[in-house]
Parts: sequence; structure tokens; C-alpha cells
Amino acid sequence: MKKRPAWIVSLVTWPIVLLIAFPLLWMLITSIKPAAELFSTSPTLLPKAITFEHYARVLQDTPFLQYFANSMILATSTTVVVISISVLGAYSLVRFAYPGRETLASLVLFTYLLPSVVLISPLYLMLVSIGLANTLASLVIAYTSFALPYALWLLRSFMAGIPQDLESAAMVDGASRMGAFIDVVLPQALPGIISTALFTFILAWNEYLYALVLVNSDEARPLTTGVMTMLISAFNIEWSLLMAASVLMSVPLIIIFAFFQRHLTSGFGAGGVKG
Amino acid sequence: MPDIALQRSGLSRERRDALLGLLLIAPTVLVLGAVIVYPLLSAIALSFQSVYTPTLEGHWVGLANYRELLGSGGFWAALLTTAIWTVGTLTLQILIGVAMALLLHQNIIFRSLARSLVLFPYFLSTVVAVLVWRWLFNDLYGIVNHGLMAAGIIDAPVNWLGAMPNAMLSIMVVGAWKFFPFVVIAVLARLQTIPEALYEAARIDGAGPISRFFDVTLPQLREVLTIVILLRTVWDFKEFDLIYLMTGGGPVNGTRTLPLIVYQQAFGLNQMGMAAAYAVSMMLVMLVFMLAYLQRARKAAA
Repeated sequence: MKKRPAWIVSLVTWPIVLLIAFPLLWMLITSIKPAAELFSTSPTLLPKAITFEHYARVLQDTPFLQYFANSMILATSTTVVVISISVLGAYSLVRFAYPGRETLASLVLFTYLLPSVVLISPLYLMLVSIGLANTLASLVIAYTSFALPYALWLLRSFMAGIPQDLESAAMVDGASRMGAFIDVVLPQALPGIISTALFTFILAWNEYLYALVLVNSDEARPLTTGVMTMLISAFNIEWSLLMAASVLMSVPLIIIFAFFQRHLTSGFGAGGVKG
Repeated sequence: MPDIALQRSGLSRERRDALLGLLLIAPTVLVLGAVIVYPLLSAIALSFQSVYTPTLEGHWVGLANYRELLGSGGFWAALLTTAIWTVGTLTLQILIGVAMALLLHQNIIFRSLARSLVLFPYFLSTVVAVLVWRWLFNDLYGIVNHGLMAAGIIDAPVNWLGAMPNAMLSIMVVGAWKFFPFVVIAVLARLQTIPEALYEAARIDGAGPISRFFDVTLPQLREVLTIVILLRTVWDFKEFDLIYLMTGGGPVNGTRTLPLIVYQQAFGLNQMGMAAAYAVSMMLVMLVFMLAYLQRARKAAA
């Protein structure tokens, strides 16, 4: 293709990119504006003065840190549970022959599309009856219902891409099947496992509906429902406070995004689109 | 003795392999059974019962829930609302997504930064997206009204979320903003694999940029777009968080989609059986798209 001068396309593209990014920029700007400026009749794009009082208030006067800790525990536990199960499961689906394997693979893909609202009432009944309502453990269990099919599907396509020769070579050299799995397959699958783990973490970090239904105490409430509680309980909606909370809540995602973007986009293609 | 042992291990080699395979898949099967298959079957069973959520006491009512659901206007209205929301937001997602992918495929300045900025909304929590947009749409202090008034496009502040059809259009826009990066990533990946020779040939034939897009690019994107549309149809159809948090289904049920009714029935009206009937009916409607996607995905995997 003839290389058009980059600046013409850039001149068209960048304003659109900035327009798309504007809501996030506005979130950031609102969070550092003094409260008085917020309700000005002619708001300015850039703050006249910068303040971090909203951040201080979110951290000191609200249960934000408690929610943050809950979300961290919740997303990490979900990721560990889901990855441990799905790494073994995906390996089995890719490399072993037994009756029902194809049906199982289809079932996994089917569950990956299943709406949460269908499962929500029975899961609620089940978790109440085993006495886990209002705990982080109940959320970890509920989250596996969408995270496990997702992780399995993603890992399955990653593992299918690993050549079988290396494994066979290791076994010819006397390694057992599981030995070959640990020494040969796992290292090769590592990029796929990392991206699956990151996706699982993000899914769990962002989940809202199960948290809304299964937990109604601050001790176990994650950030998603917690921050919305701050909105509802406030007499006057304090937007600068909420924007500061939104920024803080997005920090782990920004970190993941900044350092692992390559992993995210590759996992995305494997699981979402290539099928 | 050694003979028999040898024979036995020789015979059972495949069998032992299959056994190991089953052992590895066992945790998956157990967990999926407990958190998906069992709840799914319970949901179907619940839909034939009348259950009062706070006491969880119920009794069988046969098809009564379904009869009531199909007879009431609520289900059909919500189905229509869900269809309008899905078609509207998906159309925006596809148009913006394809256009953005084409632009980001070009050799622009700071391309990777531009890509990151465009992709980020997809990874953001819906809660954060909703808070930001509700602040943007705020009728008194929101920047959207300020901007449009300053530009002279509107004379008085517009009520973006509390009136129809504004509320529906607003959630469609927010949905498009949140989910179009999915289309960008998929299309961008595909664009990078279209052979340059196809464009060369088209150029030799005298095709301009527009006819190159329709004759070369679009046919190459057909397959990926079909899969993206099927997936996003399923996901937009079942979207709960975004709509519930933006409008709560209002004003006056104007944006109340099927997932919202399910939640409302189960935890607002405490009718868990009825909620299950709504959920199962909704799933049956979605099944067409789910099966179409499954078929495509299996074909692609084979």
C-alpha cells in the first residue's frame, strides 16, 4: 500500500481518539477539582486549582479501603481457583481421548454464553441453604460460574496451539505423562495462562450482579456494589468523591493494562473471536 | 508373571491414558455441575413453581407462570425493549468499531498510545463507566448539556436519562462506548492478515479507496464480523449492569429489558418462580443466537 503521509490520517484519527477518551479524562479532572468549581455555571476544561481532598476523603471517611481489600481477595481467590481447575481441564480436553469429550467442550462453550440472570436465583438459594450467604466465599463460588467456562475456553485454544512433538519427545526420553505436562506443556502454555489469569481477575474485579444479590454487608462487599452504595446513601450526590473513587477503583486495571496489554489482546483473539 | 504384567500394561495403555484424562477433567466437571448445570436445572424447575423469596417457601403451579407471562403485556414489551436496545447499541458498536479499526490500522502518529486509549473502556468496570456517564449526562452540571448549550445546539438543559426516548438513546451510546473496543480488537487483528497483494491488484485495476474498502476489505472481514455480531448480540441481549445502573429500567419501564425484569421479579417483587419463568423464556429467545455462534465456533475450531 502507498504510505500516505501519516499526519493527514493522524489529524483525522486523534480528535476521535480524544473524544473517546474524554469521559475518562473528565473523570480524572473532576476528581481533582475543588468542589466549588464543579457547580460553576461555566465549567472550565482544566481545573483552576488542583486538590486531592476528595481522594483523602474517599480513603478516610468511607469504607473504600475495606471494599478494595474485599475486591482484591475476591478477584485473587477466584483467579487462583479458576486457573488451577481450568489448566488441568483444558489440558485434558486438548490432549486426551475419552468418550464425551466433544460434548463436554460444546457444553463449556454453551455455558460461556449463558446469562447470569438465569443462574442467579438458584445460586442464591443454594448459597443461602449451605449457609454461605453474605461471605466472600459465596462470591468466589458464584464467580466460577462465568469465569471457569471462560478460562477453559481460552486455555483450550492456547493449548491446542502447542505442538505435540515436544511432549512426545519428553515421553520417549522416559518422562511420565504428568512429568511431560509439568516440564514441557506448562512452560509453553505460560503466556496463555498469564493472559487467562489476567482476564479472570478483571472479570471478577468488575462483576456487579452477583455481588448485588449475594452480599449486603460492608464486611464482604466488593468495590462495584460498595461504590454504588456510596452513591445511593449520599444525600447530595458528591460527584467529585465518586469520581475519585472511580479513579482509585480503576488503578489495578490501569496497571494490568499498562504492563500486560499484549497478553490481553492476544487472549482476547483466542477466546472471543477465533472460537 | 512378567508376561502377564507386560500384557496388562500394554493393553491398558490407552485405557490408562483415558483414565488420566478423566481424572484431570474431573474437577472441572464437578464444579461446572455444581455452579451451572444444577442451578440451570433448578431454574427450569423453579419456573414451574411459585416461590416467595424471603421465606423461600414454594409450591408447584405447573404452567401458570408461563401462562401469566405470555398473557401479560410486560414480557412482550420487555422483549421489544431488549431487541431495540440490542440492535441500537450493536449497530453503533459495529460502525464505530470498524471505522476505528480502519483508522488505527493506518500508520498514524503515536499509534500504540491511540490504540491503548481506544481499547481501555472495554476493560473498565461497568460501574465506573456508568458513574462517569451519569456525571456527564447530569442535567444541571453535566458537561454534555454545558457543551451543547455553549455550541448553541440546544437552548435548555436536556433530561438525558429521565425522559424517553432520550434514556434509551443515552444507554445505547454508553453501551457503544463501553463495548465497541471488542469490535476494534477483532477487526484490527483480521486487517493485519489481509494480503497486501489484494490491494495492489485492486489498485492496478484502478480502484479508489472507497471501492477498495467495499471490494477487498469488507469481504475479507465478513467472517470475523459475523462471529463478532453473534457474540455481541448474545452479550448485549443479556446486559444487566449497564442498564440497571444507568436508568434502573426507567423512566416508567422505558428501558426495562428482560434481564432487569428477571432481577425485579426475583428480588424486588419476591416472586422467584415468576423470575425463573422470565429467565427461561429469555434464554429460549437467545438460544437461536447462541446455537448459531456455537455452530460457527465449532466449525472454526475443526
